[in-house]
Amino acid sequence: MKKYSLALMVVVCGVFTAAPLKAEVVAKSVTANLSVYNKDESVWKGAKEEVVTLMLQPMVAPKPKVTTTEKVTVQAIHDGKWLVFRLRWSDPRRDEAGKLGEFSDAAAIMFPVNEGIPPPIFMGAKDNPVHIYHWRAQYQHDEEFGKKEMKDIYPNMSIDMYPMEFKDPGKVKGLTEEKREQYAQGKAAGNPQSYAKHAVDEILAEGFSTSAVIENVESYGKGHWANGEWVLILGRHMSREKGSNLAAGKETNLGFAIWQGSHDEVGSRKSVTMAWTPMKLEK
Amino acid sequence: MAVVKNWQLKRDMEYAYEESRPKRQWAIVFDLNKCIACQTCSLACKTTWTSGKGQEYMFWNNVETKPYGSYPLAWDVRVLEKLGKQEWKKNEPYYGKTIFEAADPEEKAVHFAPKDEDWMYPNIGEDDCAGTVVAGDHISLPHDKWFFYLPRTCAHCTYPACLAACPRKAIYKREEDGIVLIDQSRCKGYGECVRACPYKKSMYNTYTRVSEKCVGCYPAVEQGYQPMCVQNCIGKIRIMGFVNPPWKAREDNPVDYLVHKQGIALPYYPQLGLEPNIYYIPPIHADRSYLEQMFGPNVGTAIEKYKKLESDPIAKGLLVLMGSSDRILHRFDVVNGQATGYDEKGDTIVSVPVNEALIERPAFDAANGTIRGNTP
Repeated sequence: MKKYSLALMVVVCGVFTAAPLKAEVVAKSVTANLSVYNKDESVWKGAKEEVVTLMLQPMVAPKPKVTTTEKVTVQAIHDGKWLVFRLRWSDPRRDEAGKLGEFSDAAAIMFPVNEGIPPPIFMGAKDNPVHIYHWRAQYQHDEEFGKKEMKDIYPNMSIDMYPMEFKDPGKVKGLTEEKREQYAQGKAAGNPQSYAKHAVDEILAEGFSTSAVIENVESYGKGHWANGEWVLILGRHMSREKGSNLAAGKETNLGFAIWQGSHDEVGSRKSVTMAWTPMKLEK
Repeated sequence: MAVVKNWQLKRDMEYAYEESRPKRQWAIVFDLNKCIACQTCSLACKTTWTSGKGQEYMFWNNVETKPYGSYPLAWDVRVLEKLGKQEWKKNEPYYGKTIFEAADPEEKAVHFAPKDEDWMYPNIGEDDCAGTVVAGDHISLPHDKWFFYLPRTCAHCTYPACLAACPRKAIYKREEDGIVLIDQSRCKGYGECVRACPYKKSMYNTYTRVSEKCVGCYPAVEQGYQPMCVQNCIGKIRIMGFVNPPWKAREDNPVDYLVHKQGIALPYYPQLGLEPNIYYIPPIHADRSYLEQMFGPNVGTAIEKYKKLESDPIAKGLLVLMGSSDRILHRFDVVNGQATGYDEKGDTIVSVPVNEALIERPAFDAANGTIRGNTP
């Protein structure tokens, strides 16, 4: 009961005053090149660790019944142009989806787009958008190994043939990828979800049900799961014209969300921060 | 939650959005006494819509043997079990709970989430009958050992659970014909529709990573043609048309006639609260309590009425019109033993005799100098 009322208090704070929790992330200024994934452990030396509390997404159904990820440890560094986060959270199983009814582990970091008082933490508001960096283990697989084909998902499946898939495609006149894609409706409709993904989706949203993927992506992500813990490096370009625009010395706010595929978490079924976490970018 | 009118339950109920009925509502009526589970409908649909990657397992139209067949596995009993025992007395509104009303606060609808293995047996239970046939058994009516075939498409419900559950609002119901579609460019494949639809007619495509469902053959419907599963039904057990709510029902509309005027075509699992728009003429020889669970408390009345259609020339005429044209019949009449179907403008589409003429021919064919055989 105590836990519940505390959670409720946090909800109230988050909604009505957008009051930041005391945790503060400080992005340490470093000299290393962060424009690409930097696997050098030493760049994180001295970067402050901040533990951020999450709870089940409580606002819109469908929502989870239990909080699966209670906390995420956050560190941040920047090189003046790129801002990089290191997130750690425990997750007993690695999930990157594929088969029917399977869901991928995922994480997201959210920034308000406008300066000043941030919008409600629940995916922003009309004319007060948020900029979200959404990493999925499934998307990372796309980037590293290519998008899974049916034979990767179901190795033992047998099929006579797919429409427009011939053994000697060169011999068939007028056979184009576009014609093949007519039989994959998501692709034919140009849904980014149906194509091989970059490890991180960049999304703009102005409230629930409004999220839309941005096409030009200036971010990267690399997650590594071992011994029941995900460690995710997520980097983004600091200056984004139409998104959240940051610079050394500035302050902003962060929101976090974590999904555990093993608990069928996807979409609105997730653990989230209930108030903005302030962040300072060192000069 | 909004309060909406559900005529199938004869009461108001809770739903995620306000009541907004389309200009007209796509509907199919199936005569279950005639279905032989040849699966021609399933294949007509499959070759038209789901031959691509990620659609291997999909049957937007399927036919399952009841009581033991189901696809995905046990979809019906699992939803009913989750909903729990509910009462529905004959000639009364349904006072039990719908899947929307019984849902936990975290969910939009009572549901079960099918897993990979649940989609592996499209033919499970096929031709299995309820009860064991032992030596000395003989047929009695209604059959004490029974089964029947249940062909199913999406019901393009008036209150779709898939639409209610989609957090991205990527599912919409068309104003012009009530067909429910998943926006293939907006869906993100969360699978909430797959979980929420009690009939399990939303399906996830593992290749495109978005969900798909029966599209009601809308390109054909827009041209005045019935869906492929209806056009290709060799048993002529189906008719697709537009159903009105009872307060707007027209006796000369084929679907309204069967659903409202005669009351012999019933929605399936109406108690779930979706106001589904596929209607069934129940099988007359199957177990009555099972049929009541599936079609509601009026199933007995519908069966008794159906048995007497022989003496009703208009009803007989309409049953003959079923399957006699690929086009959508907006209106029909039966005059002087001739049943006629009309299009939206009122032009004749098809006209057939209610009783085929019986022609007797002599056994010896003098013109060809041969004896006529009985074998075709």
